[in-house]
This record gives sequence, structure tokens and C-alpha cells, in this order.
Amino acid sequence: MVERAEPIAPARTGFPLLPVLRRMAAMPLKDPFAFTGLLIYVLFVMVALLADQLAPVDPLEILFTKTGKLAANVPPGAEFWLGTTNLGRDIYAQLVHGTRSALAVGLSAAIIVSTVGTVVGLVSGYFGGAVDAVLMRIADMALSLPFLPFVIVLTGFLGADTSNIVLAVALLLWPNSARVIRSQVLTLRERAYVEAARVTGASASRILFVHIAPNILPLSFVYAAIAIGWAIITEASVSFLGFGDPDSVSWGMMLQDAFSSQALSRGQYAWFVPPGLCIILVVVAGFFISRGYEEVFMPRLRGR
Amino acid sequence: MKLILERFVHNAVALLAVITILFFMFRLMPGTPLAAFINENLNADQQQAMLEQFGLDKPMWQQYFIYLGNLLQGEFGLSFFQRRSVTTILLEVLPNSLILTLTSLIIAYIFGVLAGAWLAWKRGSWIERAAVPAVLATRAAPEFWIGMVLLALLSFNAGWFPSGGASSPGLAYANNWQRIASWDYVHHLALPVLTLALYLQGLPLLLMRSNMLEVMHEEFVTMARMKGFSEWRIVIQHAARNALLPVVTAFALGVGLSMGGNVVIETVFSWPGIGRLLVQAVSVHDYPLAQGAFLMIALVLALMNFVADLLYMVLDPRVSHGRKG
Amino acid sequence: MILEVDGLQIEYATRAGAVRAVDGASFAVPEGRIVGLVGESGCGKTTAVRAIMGVLAENGRRAGGRVLFKGQPIDEATTRKHLWRDIAYVPQSAMNSLDPVYTVGSQLVEVLTRRGNASMRAARARAAELFDLVGLSESRLADYPHQFSGGMRQRAAIAMALALNPSLLLADEPVTALDVIVQRQILDMLRDLQQRLRLSMVLVTHDISVVAYLCDDVVVMYAGQVIESGPVREVLNRPRHPYTMGLRNAFPDLMSDALELVPIGGSPPDLSEPPAGCRFAPRCPFALTACETTPAFIANGALRTHVSACLRDAETDTLRTAALDPATWQRSSNYAMS
Repeated sequence: MVERAEPIAPARTGFPLLPVLRRMAAMPLKDPFAFTGLLIYVLFVMVALLADQLAPVDPLEILFTKTGKLAANVPPGAEFWLGTTNLGRDIYAQLVHGTRSALAVGLSAAIIVSTVGTVVGLVSGYFGGAVDAVLMRIADMALSLPFLPFVIVLTGFLGADTSNIVLAVALLLWPNSARVIRSQVLTLRERAYVEAARVTGASASRILFVHIAPNILPLSFVYAAIAIGWAIITEASVSFLGFGDPDSVSWGMMLQDAFSSQALSRGQYAWFVPPGLCIILVVVAGFFISRGYEEVFMPRLRGR
Repeated sequence: MKLILERFVHNAVALLAVITILFFMFRLMPGTPLAAFINENLNADQQQAMLEQFGLDKPMWQQYFIYLGNLLQGEFGLSFFQRRSVTTILLEVLPNSLILTLTSLIIAYIFGVLAGAWLAWKRGSWIERAAVPAVLATRAAPEFWIGMVLLALLSFNAGWFPSGGASSPGLAYANNWQRIASWDYVHHLALPVLTLALYLQGLPLLLMRSNMLEVMHEEFVTMARMKGFSEWRIVIQHAARNALLPVVTAFALGVGLSMGGNVVIETVFSWPGIGRLLVQAVSVHDYPLAQGAFLMIALVLALMNFVADLLYMVLDPRVSHGRKG
Repeated sequence: MILEVDGLQIEYATRAGAVRAVDGASFAVPEGRIVGLVGESGCGKTTAVRAIMGVLAENGRRAGGRVLFKGQPIDEATTRKHLWRDIAYVPQSAMNSLDPVYTVGSQLVEVLTRRGNASMRAARARAAELFDLVGLSESRLADYPHQFSGGMRQRAAIAMALALNPSLLLADEPVTALDVIVQRQILDMLRDLQQRLRLSMVLVTHDISVVAYLCDDVVVMYAGQVIESGPVREVLNRPRHPYTMGLRNAFPDLMSDALELVPIGGSPPDLSEPPAGCRFAPRCPFALTACETTPAFIANGALRTHVSACLRDAETDTLRTAALDPATWQRSSNYAMS
């Protein structure tokens, strides 16, 4: 059976933020999967930061062999670790530099989604009434829009800019976290210590941000971690369909490139398999971390 | 019942919101406001017809209601590049999308439910501990990438399956039903369905497993043990029957969600469905066709949300039979 | 004796190590009698009774002792043939003791056909009979569990337990979640059924007034062990163990005016590291140093006689008088908390 962890009641100072943060920081140490996820994230961040050192070649540069011919479709070897595209571009360099765009998309979407979702959830759950009704109707509308088609239509007509993609993803993903956080706030609102705070005259914003918000924090992280993965996959899908930013190097763009240049029929696995694997790794890492925070928030009685 | 009506209204309002958003989005596209329905590709007669049908010379708010009226009659306008009714085009490709979606979901859910229940039974074993991350990995992979890999391996490399489309060139059929039932169609359907099923099975599997684990701790399962029932009866008749409820509603929701998500699968396999149509229409800025395709997908989504609500009401006695006590 | 529990030990494997929820409990149930098994929550009474049914949680196991049904030993392996046919269980008024997706009638029929080998027609007839027995209308057979009120659900649970004509009924807090009026009705019904069907019963409860109202004999458990047992009038009117004395003070009698409520200070020991001596010593107003080092529990239960595990049993009359004074307990509650 699922049992909610007792929310951390405020200490003498009335500020539960530190204990919550401590519990959240300690989580990966207890959960091996979350720890692996964290490691993967750290790895990719390092690669993104050191991209220029790890792959000093310009990923979009068209390369030529020593004899002056186009270095097209060179198989993986000592010179080009993953080979080259049909236009003579270094696949390994593209993979490494693609990390940057992936993380940028993922992180910005995650920040927007979790911020908006948390704030809406807090406000909606705590104040209730008309505010709640309006916000939840808006959430419903966002949820009834078909996800990928909407992103396609938006980028197809507004322009193939990565920020458009991030915007579209954020617009459609925040309702999920908002709803769950809202229902948690509804429960927390009735707790004894919140009542006590209200009775002693604490202002609404104080109650919200000092007492309730810290207990919601793990949930925000859960949805942030999930949003990273969703955003990366969506960006990859949109790029694959040809609506991505043509000037940026991303894993989705690599897959689109491979597909349209018949890499599949040529069996150039080194071209299209690695980007997919990278996506899987980053998204799975997000799943593991989000599951870890779910445990912090609602431990399941395992009885082991 | 009042509940049914309430859910119907709720979903209808959501759909209306989508339609409205779409209406304004397309009006704000670059170009004249007429650009949503008229293009120089259409001949003069067609342009005039569109002008009248959608009241493009009238004020915005009037256009909105005319638009709604047209939608109710199934009129989406004319495709700029195919120069024929969008509705006709949509209905031609809709069966392909439906067959792809339904076949994949049915396979994915049957597998997922059985595997999920089995994994729940194998709680604590190494199989379970290895299987859960593996399943998460299938949910982490982009659908189209799975498709690409399968395409490369099983079609281009091994030659077992065709590499795209819904039928081989040069084949003729008496009617649509014969075409769909033909071996050639199924042969073309195989890889897309395999890809989609592989991607989709993760949800029912994890859901069923997690439901089973919860249900097995319920008091009525313990009571069933005390009554001396066989493990089989407890797991299937009692535990699974309860655990299945959310999975069935998830299936209905999955149909709606898949119609939108299939966009990429249909592109990888050149499967002539609504998703691929949408992508093509957007690329060439064929606004009426793009609108129509988008709305059709949104309609299926809203419809399936409603069906999911209905299913939940029908299958859970706690909802369909109110308290009398 | 229809049931004999002898030195039963039940262990749970938890993250904190093995916990003995039941540690050497012994009692016996004479045929045709209602035995109350009483103690506060966590004392192991529910665990003991579920262990008799052979149904424990995933991480639980029987670590020692034996259970004899009509003289034959039963354990998880051998229990199955007795389940429900000879020994049945009445649960607490848990919302979920019946499967929510099937009608109550169909679940009765299920037990009758699958475990009772009845035909469908005979099963349906019997189901109607059972409902009649517990005072439920036959039309209710077609209803779902959530459509029953708390009291009705308990009646249905009793009907379910009696389906295969068992000789022993284990009832786990059957009236705890009900309001007082309904409690009385259900208890009266249980007494009536017990007499008519000549059942033996074990009634698990933390409410000593229920024991006073319904039971013939009582077994008092504390921290996984039995510390007093005997005929109910004797144990309740002249308790010999300080814990029982304290318990009695803490509950209003069903039949007479409420006495002054005097709670026992402190709380039961942590069973992952049980104390060496008498487990009640930390909270006992009469504890001596010897009590903290000498184990004190009943190792074999005879029930016709009134026995107590207290080391100061010889002075029991003096202690009993002192126990009637609330001041005794206030002093000990200070002691227990220090």
C-alpha cells in the first residue's frame, strides 16, 4: 500500500526547507538507480561543457580526404570514430556537440514546466474557488491539445526555432505537475500545523512558501526530471520531421539527416544508433531520478 | 445518467476550446487573413466558393460561427495542392491510421498486461529487478528511432519486410476492404505495428505491475487466501480483475494519444495516415489540409477521453452503483 | 480443547532486523466457549490469530511453537484443508474485506461452490439462508460491498464466515469500527449464533467491555506474550496481573456506569529489542528490580483456572486494592516516562 511520508513539520524556526533539502540531497545515496541517473546527467553535462575539447572539429564542417575527395560515408575508424555522413561531416563531433542542444532544451523546458506547474498547483490548491476553477480549466484545455501535432503546427508556421519548441513543450506539459501538486496542497492545507499557522495570523504567502512549498519540492523535482526527457524526445521528433532548427546540431537533426540520406539502406548503424542511445540514456536517467524523488515523497511500504 | 452528460459536456467544451485556439492560430499566420482558406493554386471558381462558404469577407466573430457550422457538417475547405475537398482526403487516410493505432495498442496491451502481472508475481526476483529498467528504456527511446533501427535490420538488411508505404506498387483491389485484408497490406503493416507496439507496451506493463502489487496487499486478497482459494483463482479472478480497471481506461486514452503521436511512425514508414498527411501539409503550408488533419486528431483525442470516462463508470461498480447503504 | 496454541512465535523480517510480534504465546480454547483475546494494539493478538489461519504477510514466518486444532497440529502447509471449512475468520469492518467488483451474493456463492462443493442452485439457496441468519434481506445479495453500511458489512462478513459450517470462528475486532448501538446488536447476534450453531469462538479485541459483555473466558496479551488468562468474571472482577488491573480501569463497562478513566502511562516496548525481564515492568507501578530481569509470561494455557504471569502473584490482593486508586497509576506514569 502507498503511504504518504509524514510532511516535515516546521522546526522551532518554522522553516522546514532545510530538512527537506537534506532529504532530497541524500536520496541518490540510498537509491542506486537514482544515483546512476545522476551520474549519467553529470556525464552529459561534462561532455556538453567540454564539447570543444572532446571533439575539436566543427560538426557542420564538410570534410575532405587527403586526396581532395569528399570524405563521405567513411566507415568508423581511427580517424573518424563514428565515421562521416554522406556530406562528409564528422558524426562523432555531431554527437558530442549535440549534447549541448539536448541539455539546453531539456533544462529550459524542465525549469519552465516545474516552475509554472508548481506555482499554479500551489495557488490553485491553496486558494481554491474561482482561481482554482479558472486555472484548472486552462489546464484541461492544454491537455486536450494533441501534443506532437500541436508542436509541429506551431513550429511549422511560426518558424523552426528551438525556443519555439521549448515553449510548445512547456505549454503542454505543465498541467500534469500542476494537477498533482494541487491535490497534494489540498491535503496539506488541512494539516494541523498549517491550521495553527493560520490561527496565529500568518499571512497566506507565508504559509504557502514557508510551510507548504518545501513539502512540495520533491514533487516539483519529479516532474522536472520527467520534463527533461519529454522535451528532448519532442525536440528530436520535431527535428526528425524536418521542422527543427537547421543551423543547430542536435541528436534529432542527426537522425533526420541519416534518414533522409538513406543511411538505413546503407546500414550505417554508427550514424543513427548512437544518437538514439544518447537520448535513451538521458531520458532513462530522468526516469530514475524522478522515481527516486517519488520515493522521498511517498515511500511505499516494501516490508523487506 | 447525469454523470455521463457531465463528462460529455466536459469533453465537448475541451474540444471546442481546441477548435477555437486553432481558428485564431491559423488566422494569425503570415499572409492575409484569407490565406487560411484561399491560395493562388486554387482556380477562380474554387476561390470564390471558399470565400462564400467560410464567409471570408465578413467580420472575424461572424467567420468564427460560420467556421463552427462548417465543421459540424464536416466541411474543412479545399486542399491548396490537391485541389479537392479536405474531408475526402482525410477520410481516405483515416482507416490506415486507425488500423495502425488499434492493432499496435491491442498487441501492446495484451503483452503488457500479461507481462506486468507476471512480473508482479515474480516480485523480488532478479528478473523483476532487471526487467523494470529495461522496460523504462523502451519508454525512453524515441518511437521513430526504434522504427529506424528495425527498418534497417529487418527490412533493408534482412529483407523480411517492405521498407515503407501501405501497399506494393502495381497492385489493384476491388474495394477498400479487400485491400486492407490482403496479405500485402498486412506485410506492410507489420513493421510499423511492431515498432509502435514495442514502444507502447511499457505503459500497460508498468501500470499492471504496479496495480497488481497494490491490489495483492488489499484486505480482500488476504481474505481470499484465508478462504483457502487456489492461488490461481486469487490472482486472476480477484487481483487481476481489480488491477485491470485502470489499464482499460488507459487503453482508451492511449488510442487518443497515439493518433497524435503516430505522426513520426507514419513518417518513418511512409505510412499513409493522418499523421503523415499533417506533416506534409504543414511543410508546404497547405493550411486547410493541415487544419483538417489537426482537428481530426483532436476529435479522436476528445472522443477517446470521453470513452475512457464512460469505461471507468461502467467497469467500476463503485461508480456505476451509487451508495444505497 | 478445540484449539491449543503452544509457545507460538511469529517473526517479521524488517529493515531494522527480525521483530517477534508474538513471542511464546500460549492459550487454549475449550469447545463451545467464547474466548476473548484482549490487549492493546501491537500486542500481537491479530498476528497470532492470522497465524492460526496460516496467512501472514510476505515477510512474516512462524519461528516456533505449535498450534493444535482438535488435537492435530496445523501449520501453513497443513492448514489449507481446514480453512473456512473448520476454522473461519471474521475481519474488522474493513472497507475492503470483500472484493469491490463482485456482488456480495456472488462472493458467497463462490465460497460455497469452490470450497464447499455445492451446486450453483444449492449455493444460491444457502446464500439466502445465510443472509437470513444474520438478519440481512435476501435482495441485498445482488448488491456490491460498497453499498452496505458498516453494520451490514459486518453481518455479511459473519454470514461469509459461517458459510461452510465451521466449528471455530476467529473474529478480529468485529465491532470496533461500529457505533455503540450497532455494536450491541452484532454482539448479541454473535452470542445467539454461537449458541444455536454450537460454535467455538476467539474474539480478538482491545476493548475490555466487549470481552465483559460476550466472552466466557479471556486471555490477556501484552507485547507478544500472554500474561493472564481465565474465566472472564474472575479475571475482570479479580484481576491478578497489574496490566489487567490497569486495563480494567481504562474502559467503561458496557453495563454499568463509567468508572473514572485511568490510562496506563507510557507505551509498550519496542519488539525489535524486547526487554529481558517482564515486559510490563517499565510501566508497572509495582515493579521490583527482579521484575526487570526475570521473564514473566504464561507458557501453557489451561483456561479453566485463572492464572497470571506476574512475579508478585502471591501479593495479588494487596496490589489489586492499590490499583483501584488512580494515584498509583499517576506515580507509575511519571516513572514510566523518566
